[in-house]
Amino acid sequence: MDKKVPRSDIIETEIPMGTVHPAALEPYRVRFFVEDEIVQEAEITIGVNHRGIERIMEGLPVQKANALTEKICGICSNAHIWNSCRTAELGLGIEIPERAKYIRVIMGELERLHSHFLYLAHGCEVLSHETFSMRVFYLREIVMELLAMIGGNRVQYGCSVLGGVRPRCELDDARIERLKNDLNAIEEGLTGFVDRFLADSILLSRVTGIGVLPQKQAIELAVTGPSLRATGVARDLRTTMFEYDDFDFNVITQPDGDVKSNLVMRALESFESIKIIRQAIANLPEGKLVNQDWEMFDTDLSESYIEVPRGTLYHSYALESGRVRHCIIRTPSMANIGAMQYACIGDQITDAQLCIVQCDPCFTCTDRAIEIIRR
Amino acid sequence: MFSNTLLNSVVAVILTVLVCFVISTFLPGIERKYVHARIQQRIGPAVIAPGIMAPIKFMFKENVEISSPVPKLYKILPILCFIVVLCVLIALTPQAYKIPALASLVAIVGFLKVEEICYVLMGALSKSVMSVRMPFPDRVKGAAHLKAPLSFIEDISARRSLRMITYGSFPLYLALFAPVTAVRSIFLQDIVAFQQANGPFLFTVSGAIAAIVFFIGYMIILNEYPFSIIKAKSDVIEGPYMEYAAKYRAVVFITRGFFMFVLGAVFSVLFLGIPPNIFSWGILVNIIVALIFVFMMGIFSAFSPVFTNRQLLPTILGATLLGILSIVVGLL
Repeated sequence: MDKKVPRSDIIETEIPMGTVHPAALEPYRVRFFVEDEIVQEAEITIGVNHRGIERIMEGLPVQKANALTEKICGICSNAHIWNSCRTAELGLGIEIPERAKYIRVIMGELERLHSHFLYLAHGCEVLSHETFSMRVFYLREIVMELLAMIGGNRVQYGCSVLGGVRPRCELDDARIERLKNDLNAIEEGLTGFVDRFLADSILLSRVTGIGVLPQKQAIELAVTGPSLRATGVARDLRTTMFEYDDFDFNVITQPDGDVKSNLVMRALESFESIKIIRQAIANLPEGKLVNQDWEMFDTDLSESYIEVPRGTLYHSYALESGRVRHCIIRTPSMANIGAMQYACIGDQITDAQLCIVQCDPCFTCTDRAIEIIRR
Repeated sequence: MFSNTLLNSVVAVILTVLVCFVISTFLPGIERKYVHARIQQRIGPAVIAPGIMAPIKFMFKENVEISSPVPKLYKILPILCFIVVLCVLIALTPQAYKIPALASLVAIVGFLKVEEICYVLMGALSKSVMSVRMPFPDRVKGAAHLKAPLSFIEDISARRSLRMITYGSFPLYLALFAPVTAVRSIFLQDIVAFQQANGPFLFTVSGAIAAIVFFIGYMIILNEYPFSIIKAKSDVIEGPYMEYAAKYRAVVFITRGFFMFVLGAVFSVLFLGIPPNIFSWGILVNIIVALIFVFMMGIFSAFSPVFTNRQLLPTILGATLLGILSIVVGLL
């Protein structure tokens, strides 16, 4: 596919949108440079939600710092605490009980389901198809209740702790039974939604060939996660994570890199998540939930990359006297901003917010970029 | 004798308008509560909320200073829209048939065009805070195209409204003139009399096709999904209405419900031959038609995404061809 070239010499008008706009779930500003309602270039500016969370974490005991990472994002809160615990565990050489690994995977996949459902619902909302949006939100509601059942909360579950998972997150028979039943309901609902969506020719005409991100461009822009897989690149960090060694699942890809590919890709990936959770339930090992047999010591830099619902999440820690000396967190949307700007080019301004949404932005947790000035 | 007749006519028109207006305030609520909310499996608002309670609430809100180059004109426009809709309803009442210049299709088309022009002016005169530049120079962040001329999102909606005047509402006007092919007169009195003698125009081939075209035009002129390109939430948000607050927004809300009813009444007159008249059972037909249109529109809009130009142009072209077909069939 040819690269889309911004016709930057023909700028008729600039139309700024945001920082507050109803099509955007979060505060960010985007400047569209348009010519006869066709976007020639787009520029996204974030920074409204900067909280300096890494700076707050420095000096905190590592357990408290882990809990704080959960506050970074409301959608992938579990992913943050999981990865921060994982980073510290890698640095301190802590062994994780098998049962805890499985429960972490279950929580991770449930979170992926609710994130993908939010994406589908928000996408339909930006398309102004409120009926489909509501239907997906109802499906998401089942997942949210499952997360609340395991973690005790609908948003901040606090599942992972150093050495395993919180005892609150134990999966007894009653919970497993409810998980099984609700997964069946989710699968049935999602199948119906996907069938209905793909049979709607009007809706397909709104999403097919819109916001195209060619594969070559996606790789150049270092796009990660589902947005990359929607361009045909089968790259999923779960295939390299030791937590997923026992699970059989497919890496879903779509060929076109447009809005339709992104929507379909996430819907199909949701089925894979259901498959993984079912395997985890069926083979849930017996044993303890937390390994408390470890000692704190000073560590040099330890790093961890995991696949979260929106791409690759990076955490790094350096510990000193049980406290965080250094911490850096890099969320997937940081890499995907370039893709969002690129995807808008050549499409109508009515589709522009859709093109941004297709890359699944989460700017609130991305607002942590710092410029390192080397002296 | 003449003064008695005139007084009776004025009283009849006033009563008809009042009854129609009261009923019209329920229509947006019926659409949202009994169509959208039922389809989307949620409770929805109270049926009187969108059409009655919201305008009352807005009436008592403090007005904000409107950001517009010509604020007075901008504030007058919703009131003008309401007056235009009122004039269309008055023209439809049988008492108005004694004034042929008012009770004719040309007058109705003229009123509807004024309504459409109001949208253009509203969009062009609105400069909301939703698309202003940040208070610091963009060059601090190394931004591109620092000197690009700035446009407001309402400007887009004004341009789109202009396009809708040019070709968007064409199907509606074709459908309005379809009964003329059978009656051979543009006066409402003749159209009503012809249908009362020969049966409703709706039940002819030409009438059935024109009714479909009318319904598409009805949704277009009401800016309802999927045709709401002039107020698409994904870019222009509320479009022409963005800056209206307090009592002005209340007028916008009231006008929308009233317009829904009046367009239903237009259909009743042109396709069924039953004008709105408080002293006739025929007004029940007007109410039923208005309700049917609201239900149909609600169902269509609940299952459609908003159209962009890519979908809008072929749809309008198709509806226009259908409208031409109905006229050709009518002439044959």
